[in-house]
Amino acid sequence: MEYLTAVLLPQLLHGLVFGAALGLLALGLTVIFGLLGVMNFAHGELYMLGAYAGIAVIGVTHSFWVALILAPLLVGALGALTEVATLRPLYRRQPLYGLILTFGLALVFREGARQVWGGDMRRILPPITGSTPLLGMTYPNYRLFLLAIASVLLVAIWLFFTKTRAGVVVRAAVQDAEMLDGLGVNVPRVFTLTFAGSAALAALAGLLLAPVFTVYPQMGVEMILLAFIVVILGGMGSLGGSVVAAFVIGIAQSLLTLWMNPQRVAIAIFGIMILVLIIRPRGFFGREGVLE
Amino acid sequence: MRFKSLLALILAGAVIGGTTALAPAQGPKVVKIGDLGSKVGVFEGYGKYQSMAIQLAVEELNARGGVLGHTIEVIVEDDDTKPAPSVRKAEKLILQDDVKLLVGAVSSGATMAVMDVTKKHKVIHWNAVSCAEFMRTTKFHKYYFSNQPDSRMQANGLAKYILDKMGKRVYIFYTDYAMGQSDGRQFKTAIEKLGGEVVGVAGAPLDTKDFSPWFGDINAKNPEVVFLAFAGTDSLRLMTQLHSFGMTKKYRLAGIDCFLLQQDLPAIAEPMEGFVQLAHFSAYNPDKNMQAFNARFKKRFGVDANIMAGAYDGLMFWATAVEKAKSFDPDKVAGAMEGMCLDGTHVGRQCIRKEDHQVVMDMHLYQVRGGKNIPIAVVAGSDTIGEPMVGRDPVEGFTWEIKKKN
Amino acid sequence: MSSARSWPALVVLAALAALPLTPFMTKYYMLLGFDALLFGAVAMSLDLLMGYTGLVSFGHAAFFGLGAYATAVLLERGVLSLWLGLGFAVLVVGLYALIVAYFATTRRGIYFALLTLVFAEVVYTFFRYTQTFGGSDGIQGLPAPYLWPGLAIDTPARNYYLILAYLALAYAACRVLVGSHFGRVLVAIRENEDRARFLGYNVQRYKMGVCVISALLTGLGGALYPGRAAYATPDLMLWTVSGELIIMVMIGGLGTLVGPVIGGAFFIILQEKVSSYVDWYFIVIGLVLIAIVLFMPRGLFGLRRLLTLRPWRATA
Repeated sequence: MEYLTAVLLPQLLHGLVFGAALGLLALGLTVIFGLLGVMNFAHGELYMLGAYAGIAVIGVTHSFWVALILAPLLVGALGALTEVATLRPLYRRQPLYGLILTFGLALVFREGARQVWGGDMRRILPPITGSTPLLGMTYPNYRLFLLAIASVLLVAIWLFFTKTRAGVVVRAAVQDAEMLDGLGVNVPRVFTLTFAGSAALAALAGLLLAPVFTVYPQMGVEMILLAFIVVILGGMGSLGGSVVAAFVIGIAQSLLTLWMNPQRVAIAIFGIMILVLIIRPRGFFGREGVLE
Repeated sequence: MRFKSLLALILAGAVIGGTTALAPAQGPKVVKIGDLGSKVGVFEGYGKYQSMAIQLAVEELNARGGVLGHTIEVIVEDDDTKPAPSVRKAEKLILQDDVKLLVGAVSSGATMAVMDVTKKHKVIHWNAVSCAEFMRTTKFHKYYFSNQPDSRMQANGLAKYILDKMGKRVYIFYTDYAMGQSDGRQFKTAIEKLGGEVVGVAGAPLDTKDFSPWFGDINAKNPEVVFLAFAGTDSLRLMTQLHSFGMTKKYRLAGIDCFLLQQDLPAIAEPMEGFVQLAHFSAYNPDKNMQAFNARFKKRFGVDANIMAGAYDGLMFWATAVEKAKSFDPDKVAGAMEGMCLDGTHVGRQCIRKEDHQVVMDMHLYQVRGGKNIPIAVVAGSDTIGEPMVGRDPVEGFTWEIKKKN
Repeated sequence: MSSARSWPALVVLAALAALPLTPFMTKYYMLLGFDALLFGAVAMSLDLLMGYTGLVSFGHAAFFGLGAYATAVLLERGVLSLWLGLGFAVLVVGLYALIVAYFATTRRGIYFALLTLVFAEVVYTFFRYTQTFGGSDGIQGLPAPYLWPGLAIDTPARNYYLILAYLALAYAACRVLVGSHFGRVLVAIRENEDRARFLGYNVQRYKMGVCVISALLTGLGGALYPGRAAYATPDLMLWTVSGELIIMVMIGGLGTLVGPVIGGAFFIILQEKVSSYVDWYFIVIGLVLIAIVLFMPRGLFGLRRLLTLRPWRATA
């Protein structure tokens, strides 16, 4: 019993916080995948740019909260621009070209950020300080805030996709863009706005996590790999699946560190994934044969 | 037609390559040296300061008329922090630019890979920052020299202070790759030898985003002191997270010399308050030699020097040895460097030990106060360097297992 | 491969073989040439998958790295024969490739790419954290292998000729393969997988076959690497390396064999030369890649006319 409250529960809480953060990142990735059939390699760099845009905005306005609104808008605008300039011409081509294109975009964004802001690490001070005694340890308030805001955002996104007309249109586009085109919807605009939204979501995740994980140009590279795993596990293009998978990965990672060396944890995570792919190739909630 | 264009392409490539290869050196009296450091990525701060230290030494030497009447020219290359590019760049510096001295690399893994190159092509190699314990033992070769205190020296220097002044129950948390493993191993050995108790050890992968899953174990083991073997961005992230969980106040913290550079401290002053770090150099050390060096450095670059100033000594030792040997021949220069003592390094008079080419450097302990490294103690270099172990495994019989104390 | 079609390749080969006799091939350029030709050959074997079969592998770095570790492990233990090293590499890479190919070829398109990526990450993580194989430092300080006792591959020139021989053999093998019935079935699969299946071909078996062949060629290239570099490290298998291999194929031109060789060599030389002068060369490489995808999907060198097969055509 004591083991449960003193060891397992705190570890579970760490996992939940990390899972929620991962979920935010994976959600944008899975929407883009469903929509364009492109696994966006530059998503990690949009996440990174969100944090740097946050630093820039904080530098001017001295407010984290203003940055939390402005930075995702800035990165979202960049996303829209990128989509129109580079991805739109590829709609009719093999999705593999998109994969390779975004790999190139990632290189340019990452190196560009390094040229503009320098390669050294930056810190963003958490806007909420202090800590709360919880489960026998002092838990930082900012992490609790992170868990709360991520949960609220996840619910809001779910409501957007199920309850609003715009959300329904995007989901319809994911299912069958040609049909939607036939119904007189401006499909390219839907695509551009969705890409912008996904970029903004990545940027939001980047800025929210910056006070905890620090900021540097390569920060997206390892996160994106985890996000990929989440998207594949959850079932590509499945929104709910991604969120569930994000929590599964977050919790599995933090619980496994209790009993295993970190290196075995990393292999175990990949192992879980390969196992899922063998037993249930389409992931937790994926539809059979989507985008093959 | 088509194959002609292909041929033309290959020929064009060869010509482009050839012209650079055949470009004549300007003037007959130039000697080149190579500066191989991280210019991009986790350790780029270390590479940047290494280049500055080399620059300062070159300018001073050239103002004195160069070395053996040759003007020194520096060729800078990026080691990309990884072994493969480091080796390629080291080969380029040696085979293409014909450098007579190579300083680098930054990450221990890269430096060890470069050691194979300098050994093969017989080039004087100076290491000013990598600290894995294998470089002056199993990987050692005749042309390799270093003034960076390696893990063994750092552990010996720090362990005694920790047990005397900070506490007997120690938790070791290290970054799980060459450098961190090496520091963790040596530190555990030193603590146990001196009668302290290692209550727990844990390794976290390089570039871990969230360290909080490891904090539970640290709290459960209830140590007095937590020893941290991390570097670069990992250190910064770890300290931020430890601080947010209230652990920087709960435990006494200590770490290795490359944990954070002086320049990084102001940004993270609050979490680092009270942190004990071992280093051979600090701009805040009142030592007159360090102050004299720092004044020159600051005058030239407008910033304080840090531990990377060790690269400066590399050039000074090499230039003196070349003058003494009256030749750039690597065997003669290496011979002259063995056992050599030199005044006016960045920390005053220093000597290279003959057996394993290690500079016997005094170790200073610093405590971070208000974002500055303030000196608190000095441990003589002769007490920390340990016996030479060339060719022997320095970690034979080591285990990470925790010995229970009764 | 008929003699009428193979003579340009032979001339180019002869030119490459004569290159070390010219005064500009210093030792340094010989080693740079080794890397350029090696990665050219590896990109070519990836082209078998990408260009001819339409499968993008994001895990080819693992085949390369496994091959390198295979010889490195032997060299470290004093087994210096190159042939034993190559044989061991074939065994290790072949077994791993069979497993990867079995699972990855059940899926198409992006799933295939991501499955190969995940498998490669497992191998990378394993080597990075296994101390028996040197952990993150890899195996270093290896002696040079020998062709037969007395003839060690220990000079840049010998290394250069070794890799040239490998490239020539690999190229011949690929040429024969794509010209064969097997190769034509691969193209049929690329163009319309369902139709190929309908025609009675066991599509998965063909895909597995080409995966393993491509992996073996890549692994053999990897197996030659420690002889030149004296080490094998986990960084060789990082997923970004797989990405770079794809870039090489794209630069050179999909489905052309010759194109990726040039693309690989071009990439290595570009990286080496540009990185010595500017530190933002990744922007250059990224922009080149974007430009190629957008404006020259058939590759920078547009060498598809050298080809007897139909050019790559995207199937939307």
